Formats: sequence, C-alpha cells, structure tokens
Amino acid sequence: MTSPEIDPVLVSIIGRALKAITDEMSISMEKTTRSPILCEAKDFVTGLYDAEGRMLEQTENLPILSFSLSPVCAHIARKFAGNVFPGDVFFHNDVFSLGNQNNDVAAFKPIFVGDVLIGWSATKGHQADIGGNVRGGYNPNATEVWQEALRIPAVKVVERGVIRQDVWDLIFANVRLDIVQEDMRAEIGACTVGERRLVALVEKYGLDRFEAHKEHLFESTRKMMEAEIRSIPNGLYAGEGLVFFDGKNPGSKYTIRVQITVEDSAIVFDYSDTDAQTNGFVNGTYTSSASATLLTFLQMVNPDIPHNDGMTRPVKIVIPEGTILNAAYPAATTFGNHLCPPNADAIIRALAPVIPRRVTAGWNNLLCSLSSGHDPRKNDAYVDILFMGLKGGSGAMSDCDGYDHIGMIDASGGLLDQDYEMFEQQTPHLLLEHEFLIDSAGVGRQRGGLGVRTRYRMGGEDTQVVTFGDGDEEPAFGLFGGGDGTLNRIELRYPDGEAYRPTSKDMVTGVPSDTLYEQEAGGGGGYGDPLERPAQKVCEEVRDGILSRTSAREDYGVEVDPLTGLVDEEATAELRGSER
Amino acid sequence: MTYKIGIDVGGTFTDLYLWSSAGEVETYKTLSTPDDPSGGVLDGLRAIAEARGVALEAFVADVTTIVHGTTVTTNATLTRGGAKTGLLTTEGVRDALEMRRGVREEQYDNHFQNVVPLVPRYLRRSVRGRRDYKGDELTPLDSEAVRDAAGVFRDEAVEAVAVCFMNAFANGSHEEEAAGILREELPGMHVSVSSEVLPTVRFYNRVSTTVLNSYVGPILRDYLQSLTAKLAEIGFEGVLLIMQSNGGVALPEVALARPATTLLSGPAGGPEAAVAYTRLFGRDDCIVVDMGGTSFDASLVRGGEAEMVSESDIERLRIALPMLAITTIGAGGGSIGWIDEGGLLRMGPQSAGAKPGPACYGRGGERPTCTDANVALGYLDPAYFAGGKMHLDPEAARRSIDLHVAQPLGLSVEEAAAGMYRVINTNMAHGVRAITVRRGLDPREFPMVVAGGAGALHACMIANELEMPELCVPPTASVLCATGMLLGDLRHDYVRSYVCRFGDLDTARLRSLVGEMTGEGAALLGEEGVDSGRIEHRIDLDLRYAKQYHEVTVPVTTAMIENGDTAAIAAAFHREHDRLYGYELSAEGTDLELINVRVRAIGATDKPEILRLDPGGPDPSAARKGVRQAFVPEISAFADVPVFDGHALRAGNVLDGPALIERTDTTIFVSDAFRTRIDDHGSCLLTRKEG
Repeated sequence: MTSPEIDPVLVSIIGRALKAITDEMSISMEKTTRSPILCEAKDFVTGLYDAEGRMLEQTENLPILSFSLSPVCAHIARKFAGNVFPGDVFFHNDVFSLGNQNNDVAAFKPIFVGDVLIGWSATKGHQADIGGNVRGGYNPNATEVWQEALRIPAVKVVERGVIRQDVWDLIFANVRLDIVQEDMRAEIGACTVGERRLVALVEKYGLDRFEAHKEHLFESTRKMMEAEIRSIPNGLYAGEGLVFFDGKNPGSKYTIRVQITVEDSAIVFDYSDTDAQTNGFVNGTYTSSASATLLTFLQMVNPDIPHNDGMTRPVKIVIPEGTILNAAYPAATTFGNHLCPPNADAIIRALAPVIPRRVTAGWNNLLCSLSSGHDPRKNDAYVDILFMGLKGGSGAMSDCDGYDHIGMIDASGGLLDQDYEMFEQQTPHLLLEHEFLIDSAGVGRQRGGLGVRTRYRMGGEDTQVVTFGDGDEEPAFGLFGGGDGTLNRIELRYPDGEAYRPTSKDMVTGVPSDTLYEQEAGGGGGYGDPLERPAQKVCEEVRDGILSRTSAREDYGVEVDPLTGLVDEEATAELRGSER
Repeated sequence: MTYKIGIDVGGTFTDLYLWSSAGEVETYKTLSTPDDPSGGVLDGLRAIAEARGVALEAFVADVTTIVHGTTVTTNATLTRGGAKTGLLTTEGVRDALEMRRGVREEQYDNHFQNVVPLVPRYLRRSVRGRRDYKGDELTPLDSEAVRDAAGVFRDEAVEAVAVCFMNAFANGSHEEEAAGILREELPGMHVSVSSEVLPTVRFYNRVSTTVLNSYVGPILRDYLQSLTAKLAEIGFEGVLLIMQSNGGVALPEVALARPATTLLSGPAGGPEAAVAYTRLFGRDDCIVVDMGGTSFDASLVRGGEAEMVSESDIERLRIALPMLAITTIGAGGGSIGWIDEGGLLRMGPQSAGAKPGPACYGRGGERPTCTDANVALGYLDPAYFAGGKMHLDPEAARRSIDLHVAQPLGLSVEEAAAGMYRVINTNMAHGVRAITVRRGLDPREFPMVVAGGAGALHACMIANELEMPELCVPPTASVLCATGMLLGDLRHDYVRSYVCRFGDLDTARLRSLVGEMTGEGAALLGEEGVDSGRIEHRIDLDLRYAKQYHEVTVPVTTAMIENGDTAAIAAAFHREHDRLYGYELSAEGTDLELINVRVRAIGATDKPEILRLDPGGPDPSAARKGVRQAFVPEISAFADVPVFDGHALRAGNVLDGPALIERTDTTIFVSDAFRTRIDDHGSCLLTRKEG
C-alpha cells in the first residue's frame, strides 16, 4: 500500500472534527445522567481511541480521570483480540488492570467501518455507588480492594448489540443505587454518539487517508509537545510533596518524591524514591498517579496542544509498584485520585526554580464531605457531596493572581458548585453561608486564589457524614516570597453545644438534626514579594472585604485610611520603606 | 402610501429594510454611529428620504411602524459600559454572582482569569431575612439593614440596584418589601427584582440574570429616550417597537421593564426572516447562518419557530431568560490566518475587524484574513467590493498570505489561500453542527438560509462539509435581521417555578399559575393595543424524571391544564424525552418531577408580504457580466468562472456552478457541486447538480 499524500489542511480538519465528536459525547452524558456527580459536577470524561487504544482526542471535564482510558482501551483490545464485534460494549473499573479509581466506571465501544476495527469510543464517569462496604464508595477503613467496590476487570456487557443480561444483572445486583444502572446506560449512549460520528468521518475521507492523516496529527502534536519541553533547560530536578494521615494511623505522614529529567525534547518523571504504600485506602494506582503528573505538567505548557497520543510520546512516567502512588494488589486505593495535589506540589517544587514563569504557587488541597441520610420531606434517601464547600483557591503565577474558589488542581475548575436553591430542594439542609473567606489567599505580589467558608444547618434523619481529603495540616505554599494559603477545616457543632472536628478521612454517624456544619476551604499560595503589590489593588481588596486592614498593613505594608477607604500614601511609604 | 421599516443597528453598519403599502421593498446600509447609535437610525432614515427624493419629515410622516433591533445592551455588557450597579441579597450568599459556581472554562490555562463581576463586592450588600425551600418565612426581613444598604448605594452614586433573595422564586414578598424601601429611599432608581425578572429556582441563574437586567437598564432607558425624542423631533407619529432576544417585539416601555430581554435584540430577526423565505418553497424548518466581519451566527428554525434556549451565557455571564438559540463563533471576513506551534494552519478567532482590517483594505492591516483569501481565490472582484464603493488591493492580500501562511507551510499563495478557505469553512461547519448534531438533529434534513455580507461565499463549502443538499440566499440576505424585524409578533414570556413530584401535583395550583401568567400576558398585550382575538398563549412545562437534574421543556395544551390531564402531560413528556435522548421510561413507571411552568403570550402583528420578482426563462445569459479565474474547490484548481450581475437575474433563471453572482452588498459563490435557480421571490435556491 502506498501511503496517501498528506494534506496539512486535512490534518487540521480531522483534528477539529475529533474534538467536536468528544464534545458531543460529553453533552450527551451531561444531559442524560442522573447522579449530580455526573450531571451537575461533570465528573466524567469522554474520548476516542484508535484500534490499538491510542488516544485520538478527549473531552476532560475532570482531568484526573483522563489519562487512564487509553491504557485500559489498549488492555481491552489485547485481552479480547479476535473477539470484538460491531455492537459490543465493555465495562471496566478494575484498578489492578489500569483503572484509576473503583468508582470511575468506564464503557468502551469498538468502532468498525465494514468489518475493520478502526477505533474505540469510551466514556468514564464517577458512579454514585459501585458496591463495597460504604455507601458512595469512600471507605476510610478499607485495607483491600474488595472492601471498597465490586471489581469489573473488562467484561463484555453487550455483544453484537444484544445485552448480556446475566452479566448485566450480576454487576447491578452488587450496586446499591438504581441510578447507577441508568447512568451506565447514559455512558453507552454517549459511546454510540462517538461511534456514529467517527464512522461518518472515516467514511468521508476513506480509511487509508484517515489513518495516514491521523499519524500526521500525532506527529504534529508530538512536535508541539517537544517544542515545549525543549524550552525547559536540560537537567535533573527534584521535588517533594507530603501526604498527611492515611485514615488509620494518627500522625502518619508520607512523602512523594519526584525526579524530573529534561533532556532536549524528552522529559522523564521518576517516582522511584517515593514512600511505600499504606495499609489503608490512601494509595494511588499507576494510572491515577500518571494522570496527576500529566495534568500538572500540561498546565505548564501551551494549553492549545491537542490531547492525543502524540502529546504523551515525549513524556515518560516511572512509578514503581509498591509505592503510595502505585500500590500492589490487593491494596485499597479509593483515595488515589486525591493524591494528585501532593503529587502536583512535588512537580511544581521541582520545576519552579527552572521555569519560574510557567508554574503556579501551591493550590489548595481538597477536603471534602459527603452527607447522606433520610429526607422526611420526601420520605426518601439522599446523598450529597458538598462540592461548593470543598473548592479553595489556586496558586498565583508570576503575572497573575490565583483563581478564587476554583477547587483542587485535579479538576482545575471543571467541577461545579451545586446551586444553593437546588441544594435546599434536594437535601433537608439549610444553607447559611457560602462566601469568600477573608485573608485566606496567600499574600504576594500576585496573591493566591481565595478560599471559601460554608455553613449549613443539617436537617433530616439517620444522617451520616464522611470526610475525605487533606490540606488541614499543610497549607498551599507560596513561591518566591509569596505567602501560604490557609488550612482546610471541617467542624460539626451539635445542638447540645458540643463540637466535633472530623479528621481528614473520617466517618461520623448518627449526626443529630440541627447540627451546624462549618467548613473552610483554604486559599492558594501567593507569588512574589507582597510589598511589590500595587497599593491600590490592596486597598480595593480591603474595600471589598476580602483582605483585612491588619493584613494589608502587616503583610503588604499598605495603610488604608478607615475613614476615606483610600490608601494612606504617607504611612504606606513609611511601612514599605521601613520593611525594605 | 405608508411605510414600515426594520432597522438593525450593528457594530459597523446600520441595516434598514423598507416596506411600502404599494408593495415596494428596499434595503439600505449606512455606517453606524457607535457614540450615539440613535444617530445611525436617523442617518438611515435620512438616507432613505434622500434616495426617494423627499424631505425627511415628509417621509417620516408616512411611516406607520418602525421595528428596531439594537445592540446597545449587548455592547454595554461586552465593553462593561453599563450602569454602576448595586446588589441587595440574602445574608451569606453575596459572592454567588462572582463565583459563577466555581467554574474555570479553560482547565489547563492557569492564565485564564475569572470574569470581573458586574457588581463589585463592596456594592453587594446582604441583609437578614430568610425563606425556606417552599417560600415559608424563617426570619423576617431586616428593613433597617435595607435602609442602610440604600444609604451605601446613595453614597456610592449607584445608578441601578438588583434585588435577589434566597428562595424568592417561591415567595417574593421579602423582595417586594425591600424594593419598596429602596424606591422610597432612592427615588428614580432603576430597581430590578428577581421574583419579577425570573421567578424560577436556581439562585445563581436568578441573581446573574437580575443583575444583568439592572446593569443594562439605565443604558436602554437613556437610549430609548434619546431615540424617541429624536423621532418625535422629525415628526414620527407611528409605532416604535423593540426587537427582543426571544424573536418577538415589544413596546419600548415594555422592553424597559425587562431590559435584559434585549441582549440578543440585534441578531434576533434572522430566524424569522429566514423561515419566511423558506416557507415560500414549502419548508418551515431551516438552519440560518449569518457571517459578518468578525463573527458567525448559526441558529435553527423548526416547525416554523426559531429554536429557543431557556438559559445561556453572554460573555460567560449567565442569563436565564428565553432567548433564541444562537451559536456564535469567531469566524468572519476579518478572521486572521496563522500557523500554530505544531505547524498547523488556524483561522481566527482573532479578527482584524474593520480597523486595521484585512490586508487588502490597505488600511494598515498586515495579517492575512479570510477576505484576503477570498480575493486571492478570485471570489471577490477588487473593483466591485461593496458595489464598487471600495477598492481592494489584491497584491497586498497575496503578499500577506505568502509571508504568514504560504512560506511557513511550503505552499503556493493559491494553495495557502485555499487552505485558509477550507479551515474557516470547517470551523463554521462546526458551529452549524453545534446547533444540530449536538441536539441529535441531522443538518442534511434542513435547507440552509445564508445571510450576512460574507456568508454566501462560504455557504456551499459549509454545505459540502455537512452534506447539506439545499441552500437559500434570500434577496435581502445582507440585511436579513432587519427584514425579520417586520415579521415578528409581540411576544412576552412568563415563568413560575412549581417544584413537585408529579404524583403530588395539585392541578388546581397549576391551573391558577397558568391563569395568572396568561392574565398578565393578555393585559400587557392589551396595553400594547392588540385585540383579544389576536392573542394566543403557549404553555410549556419543564419536566424531568425523578432524580434527573436537567429538565425537558414540553409543550402542553390549554385543555390538558384545564382538565388537569396529568396522563396526557406525562405522555407528552415521555415522547419528548425519547425524541431528544433516544429513550423513555414510561414502562418502568418512573415518577416525573415538575420544575417550571412557562407561558408565552403572543399578539399577532400585520406582516408585509414578500415581493415577487419579474419572471424570465431559465437562461441567465442576459445577466452575465463576464468571466474570471476563481478557485473551484471540488477540483482543487482555478478555472474560468462566469460572473453574473445579481440585480439583473430574473425569476426562473438557472445557473450551473461554478458561478459567481455579484450583488452590491454580497457575492454568492455557486460551487461546482451546485446548481442555482432564482425563485419567484428573488432568492437563489441552490441544490446539488446530481440530485
């Protein structure tokens, strides 16, 4: 076969068309799913892969899920080689065959033109339940995978368009909530949308031309990525990030260590010196950890680089099995996605001295709560992840402030707050406060993003609160003279006046009605010397009530006149002068 | 003889469409006057009077109706030129407006900043007073705190105030009380109240919409005052109507009560006009594409009605009022071609605008634009741009394409220009896909109506990309929105939230909500002078399966509401859900949930007829101007392409592509795959040759 002539314009067109397809798949998911984790918070990803499972394009609402689809797709293509037919659908969540998190369940659909397998469409979303000991999946007491979830190691649930009812029933007999079945149907629907559109695209240009141009697309993407890597000086750079409390052993602490080698147009992230895995659920899987590495690095390069196989070609990620980032079978790993923040910290710390203008200061880490119970108004059960409460600020950059209330780096603003009034419709709770948290941003020439304070009065019966996350011991770090953000905190104030402060991985049962729930999500780290921040900006933030006059004076050296609300130029000059 | 005029004031041009009782139609384009857009309206009227050789006052005395689409509120929002606005809200939630639910649209771009809120934090004042999810009072309103806030707004010289309290959709009395105090304390202040603007559940949607309403309120008020004064000065005694974002028209005082309903006033006439033309050949579905200098708008008409959305974003700010579903992408004549880091060709979204403009304008533009590519490809005659009023420099176009696109890609200028043309066409095809395929609709089933000065050069290629078989370029294509303004009805939308499981539905309450809204609509239309016999109401319910989050808007009949026929309503929902998402759950017996009740009150207006063109035979040769070398995409080569004078073509003429049809305000490229027939009303109807 002679390879068809490459038309550079057609490469652009195919690239755009692939993106349009994965976007359409994403809309289909958003509109048809029922779990608020999917349709409100958009905790899912949609993608297209070639016949060998190489990434063609993705729509990554939640980046931490994103880079495990291609390896699993390749795994399925190998495992079922010769046994894949048009109309088949496969499910997969197994963390010991390249899945990232048990609750992130994927559907894969092979795509054929005639009888030739040309690719795969896939959708992966965080399902509201997938079995295991604890409703919703976050079991802080788990020590092995079976206490966390039902394992689905790549099974065929639909063959040649016909559902395999026995297999289907086996899976959903082990899941608590009916909506999960509906939401997996929605995943299949989104795959079908991708299948139809890719077939149309390939038929339009012909398979040979499509394949040749696809390779060219990979190559041009690789070149873009290599150009970015070449702009980083060659060398070996090391950084660390800390994980506090494994949910089992109070005071426990683990270190993620990365060594980054940049050599011309190639980059290697090596985690060989990272601490060993825990005996609890605070463990990563290879693909959740590698996703974390990639998404952090992608924020340091040109954001327009297409997300396909070419993008990852110059990037190598080494994570030995048995470390906290790649736990060995049969460890519990549900917390693994949430090891992204400390992993990102390690990478940022390693590269900040080398590419200071492309990194952010530290981001606020996730601390999250899930409330569930009985809503007597509807005589029905409810489950709510308090998305609005968990989103703190991002780190500042050399030339811009951090983003307020964006949430953890693994979502980077893709995860949304529930609407306040919908929250009061859907749960028996009453929202009292959800506002920016004064003085939460790390100070700096560029300040960190603001955190938020959330308070609500808990209603209903049989109330249970599960917490998971971190950031209550170590704040988001500042860079180059910038200050740290504030810590995360959750507290329950019972009606009898007692207060309980859950740990970062906790389960509180029997929470009485009228308990006051309080949460602070901290701010991001600041960047550069706060004395260099324009006094006018500082003054406006005092006016806006997000910065105290005390902090303005003590951290920024800006005196704001309490009567006029204007900068007291004389006092400011003195403060700023004297602190030089 | 009397006249009706549609006037669309855009960023660069003011488009006018004139219809006379004698059955004449004329179109005009004058330059806009951005400093005071009402000046452009007057200039336009003056231009018509001059062209007709009569005095302005004499002409205006015969004008019975002016329908006006304006971008003043849109531009105030885009350029942050709105009123200094204050927000009065519930204690504890004053940052919702700025947080926008915590979204960052570009996840991998750490330089991507949040939108600056329309109300800065120090002008977002919160007060005690709380209602629960049902609207029952938990804490009374702190009226002293409202007075204190009024004091702050006065001291800060605030020009407009928005009031939005938690759960006010269920009970607006705290808001009314607060608004009363504000009006008392701040006489003449523009006050918007969320339970009046948008009484629906979802706090962020409501606060954002109410603030937008306040923010543009004084702007619209000042503008309409200036316009009506100017019109009165020249003796206009007819009716002035304002185009609304929902595709309907309203009296100025009605538009002023909800200024945010004018945010899409400019482009809102397009779909109505488009379907008026397609109806002439028996189609009441169509896709409308409008390509101007910087942007490309795509919208959809189904069953004779423009597709609507109940919530959308304007510059990343949420607006939850019913608006036409218009997808806008950065693709226009001024879109710049460039090479990205990976060596791939891109077009836009950056635009050279009118200044410095495309390289071929010779006004200092150096970057190659879509218009430059069109010149290099032979589509535009440099000597006949804008009917010859403007000369283009083809060498400047070629030079800039060569330097910025051809050399980096190792292509010839012609190949590079052809590449630019293809890439921008692909981008626009994606815009069309967004309004069709993304909703599960097949674009091949719709005729595409082509509008805007630049649209007709690209439409065939968009159609090829999407395999669309049929195109229509109306005779008023370049002023289509102004045309549509004379075709709109008076139209007012109402909505109330009634959140409940369908099993618990109180049909009497549903009936009374509908009755309340139809009553309001009928009263308002009555004030606008509509006879009761010409008033119609449409009822929609926002429904979903229990535990779903996104609703489906289902049209229901008055009879269903009157009879409390929940079975028929449920059946209508199941059908609609199946149509949109490919499945329904009636067999499973899943309960439904009602969220919102919507009423649209429509008052029919008299509409002008579309004129007929003089008939001729199939032979178009009388209109043939000559021939020139132009690029034919189907064969990827230049060829001799015949050029026709669009104004000399007659009904019944048939032309085979490739052909160019030049009108003073637009050029139509009929590509090789297409054949066009001039229909009885002067539209070019393009169909595939082989079909």
